[in-house]
Amino acid sequence: MQPENIALTEAHWRTLQALADRIIPQDPDWPSGWQAGVGDYLAHQFERDLRHQVEPYRRGLEALDDEARARTGKPFAELGNAAQDGILVAVERGDVFTNWPDAPAFFAMAIQHVNEGFYSDPNNGGNKASVAWHMIGYIVKG
Amino acid sequence: MSANKTYDAIVIGAGGGGGVVAAVLAEGGMRVLILERGREKTFAEIPRDHLRNHRLSLYGQNFGPDDNAGNPRVTVDGQGRERTVLPYEGGYQNNAMGVGGGTRVYGGQAWRFLPTDFKMASTYGVPEGSSLADWPITYDDLAPYYERAEWEIGVSADSELMAQHWPRQKGYPMPAVPLNSQGRLFRSSARQLGWDVFPVPLLVNSVPYQGRPACIQCQHCVGFACPVEGKNGSQNTMLPRALATGRCHLETEAMVTHIDTDGSGKVTGVTYFDGNGEQHVIKTGVVVCAAGAIETARLLLHSASAQQPNGLGNQGDQVGRHLQGHYYPGVMGLMPEPVWDGIGPGVNTATVRWSHGNEDEHGQVIGGGLLADEFVLLPMMFWLRHLPPDVPRWGAANKQFMRENYRRFVEIKGPTQDIPSPDARVTLATSVKDKWGMPVAQLSGTTHPETVRTAKFMWERAGEWIKASGAVKTWGQPPGLGLSGGQHQAGTCRMGHDPNTSVVDAHGRVHGHENLFVADGSVHVTNGGFNPVLTLMALAFRTAEGVLKQR
Repeated sequence: MQPENIALTEAHWRTLQALADRIIPQDPDWPSGWQAGVGDYLAHQFERDLRHQVEPYRRGLEALDDEARARTGKPFAELGNAAQDGILVAVERGDVFTNWPDAPAFFAMAIQHVNEGFYSDPNNGGNKASVAWHMIGYIVKG
Repeated sequence: MSANKTYDAIVIGAGGGGGVVAAVLAEGGMRVLILERGREKTFAEIPRDHLRNHRLSLYGQNFGPDDNAGNPRVTVDGQGRERTVLPYEGGYQNNAMGVGGGTRVYGGQAWRFLPTDFKMASTYGVPEGSSLADWPITYDDLAPYYERAEWEIGVSADSELMAQHWPRQKGYPMPAVPLNSQGRLFRSSARQLGWDVFPVPLLVNSVPYQGRPACIQCQHCVGFACPVEGKNGSQNTMLPRALATGRCHLETEAMVTHIDTDGSGKVTGVTYFDGNGEQHVIKTGVVVCAAGAIETARLLLHSASAQQPNGLGNQGDQVGRHLQGHYYPGVMGLMPEPVWDGIGPGVNTATVRWSHGNEDEHGQVIGGGLLADEFVLLPMMFWLRHLPPDVPRWGAANKQFMRENYRRFVEIKGPTQDIPSPDARVTLATSVKDKWGMPVAQLSGTTHPETVRTAKFMWERAGEWIKASGAVKTWGQPPGLGLSGGQHQAGTCRMGHDPNTSVVDAHGRVHGHENLFVADGSVHVTNGGFNPVLTLMALAFRTAEGVLKQR
């Protein structure tokens, strides 16, 4: 199930999954971003339109892990939801301890791409079985 | 092979204007070659890709250009900085490229311009720095051709409710497309405000017409192809008529790079590359440019000769200037309860109460525009461009907002009449070339600042309407100064009597070139406060009729 991409390691993917699932968290009724297929969307896009963003992702995900370790001693993916959200609020503000190329820009980029996977058509790899469209009430009839 | 035959006329571009011209000329007995740089595509080849379409082109588009890297343009900002842009990027001002042109994927709003739209300078005066001008023709001159476009291409609208604004001889061929729940909401609130409203006229079948079915009210209209051919464009109306004569040949993937002229300025033919990259020179008696306001201007500029060193029709330095589209002031809001019923196309209820005769706190406002509700909104567009600024962009709160409000969301907006500037223009890029080696279009300048003022006035009216409809929260800002063009691109070969201030005469003929015509939005002197496609189709009928008469 783990999307494969030569430029990102398993550790990068774990961090990316944890990040995507805070951008679009699971709730009692509807799946998280990753559960809905955002990982597949990104894996596909990293070989297509986002191939020049793979390197910024690699650096950003490593910086996010460094930030999490500096604050908690653990990588981002091993933290609880509240701790992860706390770090992301700081990242969004650029209020970071570790060495980032541009923390708010990385986070803004990830927010957009994760939502592209979630809300665009299922042929793009995410939004499996149009789950996000059902959630908001966009029903394709014709 | 088309190049071995002779043609009476060559039409460059198989879009809204080119289709009309080809049909009229071929039915009139002329042998016609249409050269279209894009491809013919089936419904399946124009995917419902929510990231790559002509409504939202984040990474590409579904109806051309197909080769992004091979078709760049250059933009120049206010500081003179040049940037190379690709078709899906905003500054490119893309329309579409393929058989049918923009009409293959448009929303198909079928507006006539109002009588006053043809007399903007004499109605309002000309603000300093603007090239606002009257048309050399009036609404009455164009009315019979609007009627032809409405009947021959196919428009659904309410003849009775629209009659007070547009004098007309004959009703519309089809009744209006039914209102959806959002359309009924805005009809009722407008009437409470005392505003007169009516259903948006559409080039969409409300009932079966000309052998094709009625619209099935799907959720992918504007920006996409129609699954049942219930949307009327060049590709399923005028182009089939042209081809049915047996006198018209459509060659796709054919890129015209030069219009060839002799020493007297008479057009002798065109030079083009076919789909295999092979170059052809083909002779003809008449050339009609219908490539869109940006590409037609580019082609005329690139067709310079010893006698016309600045490009064809460009003795007055007018080719490429006055580029216009529309500003789109809009106000977004949330209704207390869901109003979305998903019935497409979705743009339903319009008013032209604010098209003219407006005043703000400083006095007379130049022009105005229509206001209407919106097409069924793509979820991705809702998330990207339509959320209130105070909603968090991520996390549970964002997801919850999306979940609870997509069906409560409404928007009122409309095209505001651009006040033209001669500095908003298309020129040839000096160093960037396309895949055929032809200098690409370079876009620079902005519309006149009066446009911003008019747009702000319209934005305030949109806010009044949406608030009167019961919206519990509203947001959105009026547009700032910029260059417009895009799918409504117009103005770059404006019509007029004087070669020093215009490019074509009142019949679409390029000044100084007896057998060269333009039949697309380029010839619009001003672009109305309306989607311009029906006007450019009507003008194409009129221009083509003139070409036939001259034979």
